[in-house]
Amino acid sequence: MQTDADLNEPLLILRDVAIGYHPSDSLVNIPNLEVFPGEIVAIAGPSGIGKSTLLRTIAGLVSPITGRLEVCGAIMPEKPPRGHLGYIPQKLGLVRHASVKHNVELGARAGIKSRKLRQQRSIEAIDIMGLSEKSAEPIRRLSGGQQRRVATARTLAQRPKLILADEFLSELDEETLTSVLEAVTDYVRESKAALIVVEHDISRAKMMADKLLVIDDGRINPFVKGTKAMEVNM
Amino acid sequence: MKTAIDGKIIASTFMISLILAFLVLNGMVSDWGRLTGGFGNLKNFFYQSLWPPDWSVLEPQVYPVCTARYPFEFTCSTAWIGVIETIKIAFVATVFGMALSLPLSLAAARNLSPRWLSYSSRFILSAFRSLPSLIWAIFFVILIGMGPLSGVLAMTVYTVGYLGKLWYEAMEGLNKTPLEAAQAMGLNKYETALNVVVPESANDLISHSIFLFEYNFRSGTIIGIVGAGGIGYYIDLYLRFLQYDKVVAYLLIIFLVVLIIDFLSIYARSFFNEEDDLRIPSWSEVFLGIFSSANEADDLSDR
Repeated sequence: MQTDADLNEPLLILRDVAIGYHPSDSLVNIPNLEVFPGEIVAIAGPSGIGKSTLLRTIAGLVSPITGRLEVCGAIMPEKPPRGHLGYIPQKLGLVRHASVKHNVELGARAGIKSRKLRQQRSIEAIDIMGLSEKSAEPIRRLSGGQQRRVATARTLAQRPKLILADEFLSELDEETLTSVLEAVTDYVRESKAALIVVEHDISRAKMMADKLLVIDDGRINPFVKGTKAMEVNM
Repeated sequence: MKTAIDGKIIASTFMISLILAFLVLNGMVSDWGRLTGGFGNLKNFFYQSLWPPDWSVLEPQVYPVCTARYPFEFTCSTAWIGVIETIKIAFVATVFGMALSLPLSLAAARNLSPRWLSYSSRFILSAFRSLPSLIWAIFFVILIGMGPLSGVLAMTVYTVGYLGKLWYEAMEGLNKTPLEAAQAMGLNKYETALNVVVPESANDLISHSIFLFEYNFRSGTIIGIVGAGGIGYYIDLYLRFLQYDKVVAYLLIIFLVVLIIDFLSIYARSFFNEEDDLRIPSWSEVFLGIFSSANEADDLSDR
């Protein structure tokens, strides 16, 4: 249960962080970034500029070159508490030979101890994503869009505090996209979680995000929704 | 692969290797004329001692008295008893080998375990694999005496060495994204192994296990020669008495059983294919396939 004090604490803090795969060649430099509960942050920019690497760094899969990175109260290299971080990679990271149910329960397993509750949450998440009829199907038999919905259901069943999603809305038709986005944003707002999403479609990024981070030439340019800068510059 | 390789480089490398192999062989062989004499000897040996096979090996033994009724008297024959015992040894050794290979292969996979654990597990697997199952069989026969238990232990050790290697290679070939997703979510190594690695590599794990069962049956015919049970015991017995026509009968029976196991394994493996549009052969096709062309067999095994 989150207290009022928790709600004022940022779920993600980056201070003078440089990211990249080689110490001598940083992709992005972030002087200061904080993400608070209930916030949706979109990261945009041309391909190959380091958006996914930034997400992978926050997920703890790549070490930052320099700087201080705090995720859900844990200062890296310490790991955030189990299940607090939800991650939807660009390639989804699903177990292709296993069923939809198995994959979604994997997320629930990370976030919930009780087996019964895990199953219940998984069924709910599968239902929200409109995949109830596909529950027993192996992932490899699903379309690209359906697989994205499974990855999203896995994260919803997990109930994390911070969701990292890499292009999770691509390959979805307009109707499905709206319902998936609505389910995720509803969860973020109601649970006071936070969502950081990499999105190549800048208009969609503007539409969903409270804060937009545009990566350009190794620097992050933040724009806050409702401000003139966001309207003029974007 | 650091540089792109085209067909010309592969072809020329292969040709150079082939020429080198012939040159090395030529250096080792002093008299090529022996080859022609060898074929003549083989022809004499074949017609005078091997052919026709003596099918009395399929008749019931005199003792113990056979209680099976017509047409099942063959179940009291040495051939049947030997084949069944070899199949039992191969089955038990494969299952035990699978159970021991799983933790060792998980520990040996470099994408799942720290370097020290990976290298020490690989060392154990290499040690198990470095000796053929026949040598392991001799070792266990000396250690615990003759009989099927020695055969089971010998083949289990070899299965662990071989299967462990095949499995950790399959696990290392896994797409890293599901593992990263599990790591980011906070799943521990045990949960990741059980819920991500095993289901994701299940096709390969099962396919390799079935292959090892086939292999164990084939090597089970050999280890019997050193007293580790199975049909090899009878082959060794008749070899000592120079009754080669009976030995040929056993070898033909083994060949038939290997064919049947081979086709059953193709059938079983067809359920664990990556692609969904592949057709699973019917049982009749599997059995009739024994008599069909080799191309079809190759086609099936490619699946």
